[in-house]
Amino acid sequence: MKYALYTGCVSKGGCPELYPASLMVADRLGIELEELHDVGCTGAGVLPQGLSDPINARTFAKAEAMGMPIMTICSTCQGVMTQANHRLTEDPEYREEINRKYLADEGLEYKGTAEIKHLLWVLFEDIGAEKLQAMVQKPLAGLAVSPFYGCYLRRPPEVMTPPGFEKRATYLDDLIKLMGAEFIDIAGKGKCCGFPVLTANEENSLAMAAKHTGEAKEKGADVMVTPCPLCHLNLDGNQPNAEKQVGKEINLPILHLPQFVGLALGMTPSELGLGKHIVSTKVVNAKVEMLS
Amino acid sequence: MEVTFNAYRREPGEAEYRRGVYKLDLPEDATIMDGMLKIRDEEDPNFAFRGSCLRGYCGDCMMSINGKNTFACTAKVANFMNRPEIALRPIRMVPVIKDLVFDWDAFMWNKIKVLNPWIEPQESTDGVRTVPDKVMADLRNAMSCYYCGLCDEGCTVLPVDMKFLGPAALTKAYRLAADPRDKNPGEHLKMAQQAEGIWDCVHCYEASEHCPRNIGPTERIVQLRDMAFEKGITNERVARHHTSFAASVKASGWLDEARLAIESEGLTNISGLMKLLPIAARAAIKGKAPIPYLHHKRPGAKRITEIFEKGDERGK
Repeated sequence: MKYALYTGCVSKGGCPELYPASLMVADRLGIELEELHDVGCTGAGVLPQGLSDPINARTFAKAEAMGMPIMTICSTCQGVMTQANHRLTEDPEYREEINRKYLADEGLEYKGTAEIKHLLWVLFEDIGAEKLQAMVQKPLAGLAVSPFYGCYLRRPPEVMTPPGFEKRATYLDDLIKLMGAEFIDIAGKGKCCGFPVLTANEENSLAMAAKHTGEAKEKGADVMVTPCPLCHLNLDGNQPNAEKQVGKEINLPILHLPQFVGLALGMTPSELGLGKHIVSTKVVNAKVEMLS
Repeated sequence: MEVTFNAYRREPGEAEYRRGVYKLDLPEDATIMDGMLKIRDEEDPNFAFRGSCLRGYCGDCMMSINGKNTFACTAKVANFMNRPEIALRPIRMVPVIKDLVFDWDAFMWNKIKVLNPWIEPQESTDGVRTVPDKVMADLRNAMSCYYCGLCDEGCTVLPVDMKFLGPAALTKAYRLAADPRDKNPGEHLKMAQQAEGIWDCVHCYEASEHCPRNIGPTERIVQLRDMAFEKGITNERVARHHTSFAASVKASGWLDEARLAIESEGLTNISGLMKLLPIAARAAIKGKAPIPYLHHKRPGAKRITEIFEKGDERGK
């Protein structure tokens, strides 16, 4: 299995622990990666479609030429790219216009065949639950884990979890159980973390972060796992501010998806960069240590 | 078919609510609304709920049925028999007036009103104002909203901030801002950008998932934001954020997060910048932020710059 890796900005910026953890886990799982360097930011829902669609079409054209599906490690990148690809493949005229106006000068053409998959989808759709489970070296028994999908990996459903791929809506739940951890369901798992309005309305943003982390904590979770580094920025990075706003201690560590998988594959918390989180992962480290 | 309804009951002005439990005998194909009408006609004339068209069109009878928010008039009782009692509740986070009757003004109509929900036609010598087919088809889709409120009900922001205008009102704003017949183009776009407007939306696509008419309220808000990006963002903080975001992608191909954080606050906003210090300090201590901080250009950044430049030309 070989993929063109689209790292996104945050895995090398605000969450620098995500990139190396992704590479380590991919390597262990036999996922071969060739990193896309000469590509732009997806636009992250900030840039208008008029700009982000050409930038993404360029990325797709490059991966298409490499003959590999794209793998992402960020739900926001995944969501924006899947939606852009939907527009570009559904409407060949639109794609041709983008090709002509933006890509032709560089000798590129997007033919509309790119496949874009988040690591979470690769785990289930390309590796498979059975094989994945067989590779678990350290079942995370006793670790209580809540999932947090965020918005962009599940919605809009007609594009993100289309017919034939409905199971994508529960992959993270399934993964937690598959890794041997205790699954703590929360109502807010598919809601917004608040990150997108951090600039426009910080109060609302922190209220959302406090709500979801607080719910998981109240239901007994030791830790939360998310496939989206932007969710991580708000749920982990801004948790101290969210706690201050609601006047209550939450103290819930948040793991990136590959960190969580890595722990079950027998990697250590420090190898996986858990020390770089804002909320201490002490409770996770202690429980994982006890398992060995 | 024997069935038990467990309905939320509350008298006006009372803080406490009670549950009204009603055993009913209904035909196999009965709707929830049939059951509620039967309760009111035969058991308790004081039971209050709304309902108007009774054919799933007006949205007046929207409520929570066994936790699912839908219309009582189209919901078949047989589909809700998975529990011993069928629970009827008002939708979440809405001021209740009595029983299942909630305050639609506070929930939605007042928010639509602040957007001046009308257009003022341009002067025309012959009284004819044509709209291109493609534009009209798009407008007609947005106009097919019948204000059932399901998008607001599904909204992620409203549960933490009831002041947010919400997707229903902002869809109306789109319908107005996108209408080329308006005498004051740009006015509605500006209104949509007021505090608690489009910039407070998290574009989580919950609204679109809840819309029974495929209007795509989330997409409408995104379209308004894209229009604002092109024609001028009037919210200062958001303008700084978006300008900085675009500038760093344009120059280097990808996002410079530190620059974005600082420029979003504004270089002269000392207290805002001071607020960033603890965040930066926490990141530095944890080894999250590399020191010295450098943001390199991506290979091919020049090509991304060109895409921006071509986009600018196209916009002119």
